[in-house]
Amino acid sequence: MIELDNVSRLYGRKIAVDQLTMTVARGEIFAFLGPNGAGKTTTIKMVVGLLQPTSGSVRVGGHDMVAEARAAASLLGYVPDAPCLYDKLSGREFLEFVGRMRGLDPPETSERIHRQTEDFRLGEFIDALIETYSHGMQQRLTFAAALLHDPAVLVVDEPTVGLDPRSVRLLKNILRRRAASGTTVFMSTHTLAVAEEIAERIGIVHQGRLRFLGTRDEVAHELRSENLSLEDLFMRITETVAGGQAEESESGASAAGRAEREDTPCD
Amino acid sequence: MRVPPGARSGRILLVTDHSAGTVERAPRSGGYEVSRGADCVARLPGPDKEGCAFWQLRLRIAGTQVRQALAHSRLRLSLIGSLSLLLWLGMFWLFIDGFRFLKVTIHHATTYDTVVEGVFAMFFTALMVMLVFSSAILVYGFLFRARDLTLLLSLPARIERVFLHKFQDTVFFSSWAFLLLGSPMLLAYGLVQHAPWYYFVMLLPYLVAFAYIPTGIGALVCLAVVYFLPRRRHHVLTVAAVTALIAAVWIGWSLMAGPEGKLLTPSWIQQTINRLQFSGQQLLPSWWLSSGLLEAALHGWNHSVLFLSVLISNALLLRQLAIYIAGRYYRTAYSQLHAVGTARKKMKPIWLDRLMVRCVPFPLTVRLMLLKDFRLFRRDASQWSQFLLFFALLGFYFLNIRRFGSQSHTVGWVNMMSFVNLTVVGLILSTLTTRHVFPMISLEGRRLWMLGLLGLRRDTILWSKLAFAVGGSLVPCAILVLISDVMLGIPALLQLSHQWTCLLLCLGLSGIAVGLGAKMPNTREDSPPRIAAGFGGTLNLVVSALYIVLIVMLAAMPWHLYVLAQHQSAAEFLADRPGVLRWLHLWLWGGAIGSAVLGILATVVPLWVGLRAFQTMEL
Repeated sequence: MIELDNVSRLYGRKIAVDQLTMTVARGEIFAFLGPNGAGKTTTIKMVVGLLQPTSGSVRVGGHDMVAEARAAASLLGYVPDAPCLYDKLSGREFLEFVGRMRGLDPPETSERIHRQTEDFRLGEFIDALIETYSHGMQQRLTFAAALLHDPAVLVVDEPTVGLDPRSVRLLKNILRRRAASGTTVFMSTHTLAVAEEIAERIGIVHQGRLRFLGTRDEVAHELRSENLSLEDLFMRITETVAGGQAEESESGASAAGRAEREDTPCD
Repeated sequence: MRVPPGARSGRILLVTDHSAGTVERAPRSGGYEVSRGADCVARLPGPDKEGCAFWQLRLRIAGTQVRQALAHSRLRLSLIGSLSLLLWLGMFWLFIDGFRFLKVTIHHATTYDTVVEGVFAMFFTALMVMLVFSSAILVYGFLFRARDLTLLLSLPARIERVFLHKFQDTVFFSSWAFLLLGSPMLLAYGLVQHAPWYYFVMLLPYLVAFAYIPTGIGALVCLAVVYFLPRRRHHVLTVAAVTALIAAVWIGWSLMAGPEGKLLTPSWIQQTINRLQFSGQQLLPSWWLSSGLLEAALHGWNHSVLFLSVLISNALLLRQLAIYIAGRYYRTAYSQLHAVGTARKKMKPIWLDRLMVRCVPFPLTVRLMLLKDFRLFRRDASQWSQFLLFFALLGFYFLNIRRFGSQSHTVGWVNMMSFVNLTVVGLILSTLTTRHVFPMISLEGRRLWMLGLLGLRRDTILWSKLAFAVGGSLVPCAILVLISDVMLGIPALLQLSHQWTCLLLCLGLSGIAVGLGAKMPNTREDSPPRIAAGFGGTLNLVVSALYIVLIVMLAAMPWHLYVLAQHQSAAEFLADRPGVLRWLHLWLWGGAIGSAVLGILATVVPLWVGLRAFQTMEL
């Protein structure tokens, strides 16, 4: 469902993503790991069409993300790590807007809002203004909006940021069920435990390049044989090249770092 | 496992099989029916439905904002409404008076029409240039920096619709100020000219169609700059702003370069019109607007409709052109802008920092807080640029003050102008303390846990804010008032009273802003303008305005009357009325003592109230 073909993205002189090639299949949960400034968020922004690759191509459901952005976006649901919502709308009004933009007719939108309200336990505050929501509530509403149209691809940047343990459990279950129904889940995360628990495949990116790629079973087998944890593996992969960061140009490093810090262009 | 052996030994190699482990899975039993690609694309809304969704979004947000404002910000609303009305009425009165003056002064009808045409053309040309600038900046904010773009650009919305939505917002935000400025002049002209009814009916369509053109130009310029020069956008803006400023100063200077005492005379007006002929170029939309409205006012409705058609068709053409260009280049421009690197500068202390730490006679903790605030201030262009702009404009005006009045040698005029200038400095200062000083405690409140861990007393924080505000405002205000007084050549006694008043204003306004800021903090907001725009900020502005009026009445006004009383004609008048002089002396000394007491009270009482609230403030 997601194909990245030799994708590179420059921030000034700094290569934020370097010739990234990978595919994510239908119904797969893919976890994208990497330290701050590694290129995760840049990759995600290219997958959802917020950034265009400097070279290479990104395809979602067979649609090129640059040439057929609208068709590709119709298949996507996107959850940035910092919710971008309209403070002066209620949760229901926000979901209605998203539903209309997805082409859902009013009865269908109402039915789906009801379902999402149940799934994400939004019932108590769905009709309150979003400005009164806590961060976790906003994050749950963002998930509800991203999944409103039952997307073929769900792209999630840091899914568990700001969520309490109960909400994290709820989210993991929903992601599993969605994937079981055929939705492709592409998520970046710093929470290795979440990746280890629900991802079917894990990729580790560092300094813009894919350093590691493997299925969960392969990872588990390898970790057992080496007596390592995923954290050990992550540290081993990322610390080896960490010294190279000092060589980054000032301007590029700043931009890439900023993109990772922001994790969303809500600036 | 696709980890190369090198990884285990510390060497990292690239994976080569990029679809490792990828298996296309048939849907299992998740309980959801995932949309198929073709269905998703097919059911996307058409342009009309998409447009309706965006309008509904806008109306819902606006409705909530209006309801909230009516429920929680009545004071602010009424203040904005009354001040806007006052401004509008003031301008209306000014224009009515101006057009009557022209009509009385210029007896020849054709010359009068030419003069009015020149005034219109220049006025609207200037507004058009300003609108292009403001629209370009607004479009930049709406199209490239708005919070909701992450959502809108990841939804399957037509990119043209996203652009149009933001473009309409820009038209609204740029044209309301244009209507506020343009409508009093045009209404005043219509009334003085006894224009027919259709002149007044056509005013709104004319103004709206005209506002669309510079907004369209601004949007196109903004898109072009971000697309072609994303890294140099600030440089382009700076160069354009400096060029416009130089052109404006040059035009202003050339208009005032005539001999003193000849301003606003018929010959000066004729000369001025001749100098401003460039604004009457027939290809300028401002000329279409002014010519069309003048035709309507002079009963030439058919020509007026023609000009209106030209304006509307050009406005629509520019709108369509902007939509077309945005459809092709906006997404790429957005992407380029968000992938631009910014230099990571190494910040070093400057000599003023060292001076502040070593020489300011305050305890070390206060000095360090002052240093922190000063660094934040000078590194934030949005803060110091406002100070610079206001004070530079005032300074420019004060330096040229004698050119603005034909009575610049009469004692009464000089006296009045110096008095007005002092009040203006106070009013400008009150807006700056509301905008910059009032939010300081709210912003500090968010970091209070950190300052608390440093063992810093809360009263130290408050005193440091007061010292910063007083120090930062006193120097420029005192210099400005001195420039005004020196240029007007007022007596030393008055100059002294002005400096005294200035000191009281700086102390009191700073005390009010710091005290109310601590009493009514808003720690939920991290944007100073939003904090200042709340109830506390509005109250601060109102209290500051009252304080200015009282201080000026007590400290400055009696001295002005006293100086006037020394004048020969007034002395003769007052010679027979000793009671008036006694009252004046009483006011003089009572005012001096009263202003000092009021200044101390305005500084200390809000601070005391604010400190009590700040000491018990919980985060």
